[in-house]
Amino acid sequence: MRAVIAEDLALLRDGLTRLLRDNDIEVVDAVSDGDALVHAVVREQPDIAIVDIRMPPTFRDEGLRAALELRERVPETAILIISQYVEGTYARELLADGRGGVGYLLKDRVMDVEAFVEAVRRVADGGTALDPEVVAHFVGRRDRLAALTPRENEVLSLMAEGRSNAGIAEALVLTVGAVEKHVASILQKLQLPPSDETHRRVLAVLAYLDAS
Amino acid sequence: MLGMFLLWKRTVRAQAWAVLLLDLFVLVLWAAGGGGNFWPAWVWLPTGLVVGWGWWAAQPAGALKRHVGQVTLLALFLIGIWMASGFGTFWPVYPIAGLAFVLGLRAVMRREQSEARVETLTTSRAGAVEAAESQLRRIERDLHDGAQARLVALGMNLGLAEQQLTKDPEKAQEHLADARAAAAAALQELRDLARGIHPPILADRGLDAAVRALATHAAVPVAVDVELAERPSVAVETAAYFVAAEGLANALKHAHASRIDIDVHEREDAVVVRVLDDGRGGASEVEGGLHGLRQRVEALDGSLRIASPAGGPTVIEAVLPCVR
Repeated sequence: MRAVIAEDLALLRDGLTRLLRDNDIEVVDAVSDGDALVHAVVREQPDIAIVDIRMPPTFRDEGLRAALELRERVPETAILIISQYVEGTYARELLADGRGGVGYLLKDRVMDVEAFVEAVRRVADGGTALDPEVVAHFVGRRDRLAALTPRENEVLSLMAEGRSNAGIAEALVLTVGAVEKHVASILQKLQLPPSDETHRRVLAVLAYLDAS
Repeated sequence: MLGMFLLWKRTVRAQAWAVLLLDLFVLVLWAAGGGGNFWPAWVWLPTGLVVGWGWWAAQPAGALKRHVGQVTLLALFLIGIWMASGFGTFWPVYPIAGLAFVLGLRAVMRREQSEARVETLTTSRAGAVEAAESQLRRIERDLHDGAQARLVALGMNLGLAEQQLTKDPEKAQEHLADARAAAAAALQELRDLARGIHPPILADRGLDAAVRALATHAAVPVAVDVELAERPSVAVETAAYFVAAEGLANALKHAHASRIDIDVHEREDAVVVRVLDDGRGGASEVEGGLHGLRQRVEALDGSLRIASPAGGPTVIEAVLPCVR
């Protein structure tokens, strides 16, 4: 797997590079601002770009803006946003096109190396990874989610984090079969149009974020 | 004097030239008519008054100099009439005395106004300093009890792990897990602290997005309407955000509201933030949040109005002047 890293703090950029290399992920370029990121990704066409939100020159959300630009220009490259803070608004923007291959995690999550690398691989494979902190903001929302049972709500919030059915089953101590039933029921209650599984899961997560 | 004349508003200057021409014209007419009673004085006097008035009116409003100038001009006009009408009893003394009295009154009032203003500024500045001071104290305490303590624990656990690494790898692993947990907790606390000082989304996207993000997390429907032509200064933007945040928190915590409206718009060089809820009212400034909010708003020369009769509704409105 090939990755590009965009992170302005050298300490974290080097640390991330080492962490990924130690886990057999090739880092083809490591840059420190949004423009350089766009250039690097267009040139290298990596499997995934791991991007910090706040970077020079304005130290606002240029990482996110660059990432949204890349979603359009290089749709094959998955994007994993890492940041010191999470905002539901940004998560919604990233997921807005309804495709997989996006993630949004707190930088803290790199401390759990195994889970982090797993999230990188999952996003690169077209899945999603939303930080539990983003998901927590939206727990117990109204409107469209009112039809869901408490158990289905739990399943949906784990789905939003990007877990597979097996992962959800493990977390909730259920059988995979039971989780599959819940997922089918959620997709049906949210009236999501029939399409492939990944797409529907992303749409379910969006519904989750939009329910506010 | 020439500089002032050049700086004079173009319209006033054009007017002055026209009047000068008119005055010369009537002088020529008078001379052509064979002199006699000097009637052009009756044209010069009112036209002179008009031009002089224009000159003083172009001075900055509220300046005492402008009032003094205009009153002097009126006095000269009256004396001119007295002279042109053949002297006699010096009647202009009465209106001039009246004008002088009004001017004196005005000067005294201005003085009182500025004294009251100094008092307001002194109070609000003291409030601002106190608010900043207590916020710094709170941050220091949060750092000391939170992140700093966590980092000490982290270092300690790493030290223990190092020590046990060869002797008891299992124990070392436990210490490492504790170290990681301490680092995670420290990060969480630092993040909460940073958000309380200046929320990232406010810096990134401005007031509209930041207030909408606040509303997203509320358990009660919140209608947000932000209409600003451009982003205000950081200080005003931050204060406006915290008025919305505090007003919202207050409504959610105490008011049992079923609907909250947050409205931000511009009004005559000021940003107005209004938080309205349909709850039970009775919001009090004594308890924490709203008092701090008043200090924050007044530090920017703004005003905060809280109307919360028992039974509701509650309106919190801040007016924050923008110096552009």
